[in-house]
Amino acid sequence: MKARLAVLWLLVGLPLAWGVFKTLQNAVKLFH
Amino acid sequence: MSGSFFDRGSTIAVPNFNRFCVPPAAIAVHLAIGQVYAFSTFNIPLTRLIGLSESAPGDWSQKQVVWIFSIAIAVLGSSAALFGRWVERAGPRKSMFVAALCFAGGFLLGAVGIRLHSLWLVYAGYGVLGGCGLGVGYISPVSTLLKWFPDRPGMATGMAIMGFGGGALIAAPLSVLLMAHFKSATSNGVLESFVTMGAIYFMFMMIGVIAVRVPPPDWKPAGWVEAAKPKALVTTAQVAAKVAWHTPQFWLLWGVLCMNVTAGIGVLSVASPMIQEIFSGRVTATAAAGFVGLISLFNMGGRFFWASTSDIIGRRATYMVFFLLGILLYSTVPTIGFGGHIGLFVAAFCIILSMYGGGFATIPAYLRDVFGTMEVGAIHGRLLTAWSVAGVLGPVLMSNLRDYQLAHGVPKAQAYSVTMYVMCGMLLVGFLCNLAMRPVAAKHHQGAA
Repeated sequence: MKARLAVLWLLVGLPLAWGVFKTLQNAVKLFH
Repeated sequence: MSGSFFDRGSTIAVPNFNRFCVPPAAIAVHLAIGQVYAFSTFNIPLTRLIGLSESAPGDWSQKQVVWIFSIAIAVLGSSAALFGRWVERAGPRKSMFVAALCFAGGFLLGAVGIRLHSLWLVYAGYGVLGGCGLGVGYISPVSTLLKWFPDRPGMATGMAIMGFGGGALIAAPLSVLLMAHFKSATSNGVLESFVTMGAIYFMFMMIGVIAVRVPPPDWKPAGWVEAAKPKALVTTAQVAAKVAWHTPQFWLLWGVLCMNVTAGIGVLSVASPMIQEIFSGRVTATAAAGFVGLISLFNMGGRFFWASTSDIIGRRATYMVFFLLGILLYSTVPTIGFGGHIGLFVAAFCIILSMYGGGFATIPAYLRDVFGTMEVGAIHGRLLTAWSVAGVLGPVLMSNLRDYQLAHGVPKAQAYSVTMYVMCGMLLVGFLCNLAMRPVAAKHHQGAA
């Protein structure tokens, strides 16, 4: 059950983390 | 569809099932359908399907193309209202699967429309069919999450609805990557990107379809005891959807959501030009895009933060904070703008947008408090018509008030001041609606004579 939980959270967490990273990359331009 | 895999009965969780496996299922669906917020990345390429590098005679205009998004959002609200009771009856797995079929089907039908250069087919595909996927997908995990987390309903629905905000953060760079990958001498890559995104999102939504589970009847979290004396406005009774929308409480909450969303969506619609005009010469178009990105992050984070906070301070108190703090911030933004304080201006809008997202994420738990969990998904679906109205009202108010100011000789940098004060007025209406909330009369409860 723990492995299933980890896999599920990774499946949604990784794309979300990528999206947040790309947005932050864009957002820092505001402070340049 | 007739197979037992999709039936509610086959989604009942086994004993000792970890309830934290359910939020990722909901987030998977919301991350996918949240793509709609990034649809504008396709707007310019869709006006260059013939000319490729620039619009040619016969190409669609920008004005025609922006209707695709508007139709999708309007259909989201109406389909959520229309299919809410079916979603409750069918259960989360079947409704998530239908949402995946509609949303991915919308991309594919849209791609056929692009291939045949038929704008009506794109409207029907992404706008109508895809919009149905948005509406059904948005409400499908809500009541399931509320039943799994009776101790933390705000946090649970906040996580799912945060996914909707996060969907745009993924879809915007993904669309740009795909269009660049598929670009060729004969195509600007939009058609291929539509087909690819349809396939990717279908598979991603299937994670939710496969993983979702409903709790057994009368299930409760281990060690959790329902409060003997519930908080004010929290009911232990159940109200049916067809009864709920005849109660004043439904329409007061409709007003609360509509006013909160109108104020936030109005800002979102003009965020980039607004910061460039108020700080003319100091904020470039690139920096303005950074501002849009930053407020999108706060829109997403606010969904989890505020909805979780509402579990501690209560739903009504959370909306009181939204409206009072919102009025304070909107009324000081013009002064901050005149003073040239970019940092404070950005901070104010980050908080405002966090409360915009928080308003969406806290409303399912508020509905559950007032009407019970029995048909909360269907009631939520009907309440989302407030979003459709606000989606038109906010941007129209913002742009028309700005144009009116400019036509009367107000400098560009000050053209948003009156708009901010009008938003304060709308938030005050929302505040009064929230203040007037009372428990639903016992005659409306399920089983009442």
